Amino acid sequence: MATLGFRTANKRYKRLFWPMIAIYVAVIFGAKWLFDEDTAPLWLRIACAIATTAPIIGCIWAGLRMTYETDEYTRARQMRALAEGGAIIACAVFLVGFLQIFEVIGPVDVFWFGPAYFAAFGLASCRTIFGKTV
Amino acid sequence: MNNILRILRTERGWSQAELADRLDVSRQSVNAIETGKYDPSLPLAFAIARLFERGIEEIFDDGLSVSKAAE
Repeated sequence: MATLGFRTANKRYKRLFWPMIAIYVAVIFGAKWLFDEDTAPLWLRIACAIATTAPIIGCIWAGLRMTYETDEYTRARQMRALAEGGAIIACAVFLVGFLQIFEVIGPVDVFWFGPAYFAAFGLASCRTIFGKTV
Repeated sequence: MNNILRILRTERGWSQAELADRLDVSRQSVNAIETGKYDPSLPLAFAIARLFERGIEEIFDDGLSVSKAAE
């Protein structure tokens, strides 16, 4: 993927990111409104899960594309934050997994590792902004 | 690596944001280069040199040229 420069990469990011967020919010509320947990058939449950995940994949794609296309310093910072966020979550997954294996804790919803990754990425981004950079 | 980017920029009365705009990089990039936190790639160094109509070695100094001259 070619480098386009900071401005163009940012524009392309926003052009994809905000519609995806809007779709995500609409699907979340739509599904909540349509969905009856007791009577919903399996196909509808699967369709809701896919429809909610699709815009998230779109947002992740927008972020990755921006990282590849933006200027070199921003890219280096983003890559570092992505890697550090991933490392934090990998550690958390192992810790929670072993806590479960050794029967310290009960079942944990896997779902929360997704938002936790974005939180870890955000924290790592702040560290690269305010701390010593690349 | 040391550089005189801040001096060149202020000589022209440009803000970091203005310089970033001219180079099509983020303002944070300009700040990181000026403060020596980040060394630009060769293409970006050339772009900076072209913008200020100077040679790359006039703007960036890796500290080796001085020690080489002293030898």
